[in-house]
Amino acid sequence: MILIHCPYCDEQRPEIEFAYAGQAHIARPANPDSYSDEEWERFLFFRANPRGRHHERWRHTHGCGRFFNAVRDTVTDKFETTYKAGEPRK
Amino acid sequence: MSDNLARTEPVPFAPFIGEGISISLAVPMTRYSLRARQAQALETLLGVKVPKKIGATEEGIACLGPDEWLLRAPAGYNMVSGAGLPVSLVDISERAICLVVEGPRSAEILRTRCPLDLDKFATGRATRTIFETVEIILLRLGEDRFHVEVWRSFAPWLWASLTTAAHH
Repeated sequence: MILIHCPYCDEQRPEIEFAYAGQAHIARPANPDSYSDEEWERFLFFRANPRGRHHERWRHTHGCGRFFNAVRDTVTDKFETTYKAGEPRK
Repeated sequence: MSDNLARTEPVPFAPFIGEGISISLAVPMTRYSLRARQAQALETLLGVKVPKKIGATEEGIACLGPDEWLLRAPAGYNMVSGAGLPVSLVDISERAICLVVEGPRSAEILRTRCPLDLDKFATGRATRTIFETVEIILLRLGEDRFHVEVWRSFAPWLWASLTTAAHH
């Protein structure tokens, strides 16, 4: 079982306590009124699918309950780092 | 809190006693979910110190998350009112029951389906975690003494799972 470091609990915890929550650092539109259909489509549905380093949101569902960001390698499934939500991209 | 004589519980009242292990139902207690952005607000309101580190416990209050605490107290505990303050105090006494897992084999039996590293889980700590598929709150009261808080509807399964592990 993979151990994931939760930046809030500051501990390595078993993978099954966590839930994946999609790509990280997707900013909501600042001016939603002025968004065209194409821009909404891009915001809602277009996601990166890299081979290698990927920025992701995870949630420590069965633990402290917090969302945080992680950098994971999609090839090796290794977590490079995890950091609190709101912190700059690593 | 209802009359204890009229209570029904999802697990047997009689404790399970095995070799080096006993699993029993704890007496009913009062539980509160405390939420606040600032722990200071809770400390002022309750007049007690609130643990700041996730996983720590202090006088019946366990810190489960950065803004979440679980208060466990004897049944009949009178909670103060948080009206007008930026806190949330919710009575969750009857949401969960507590199983007491005790004896030299207690850690071994919990480890059968709980992947948490119990060697690093010192006495006095508490955390929400998972027991196979069921969410539990695990509290370590002593080297060989654990409290397992589990939602009522999951309790019969957890009881069966723990007692089965204890049989082996």
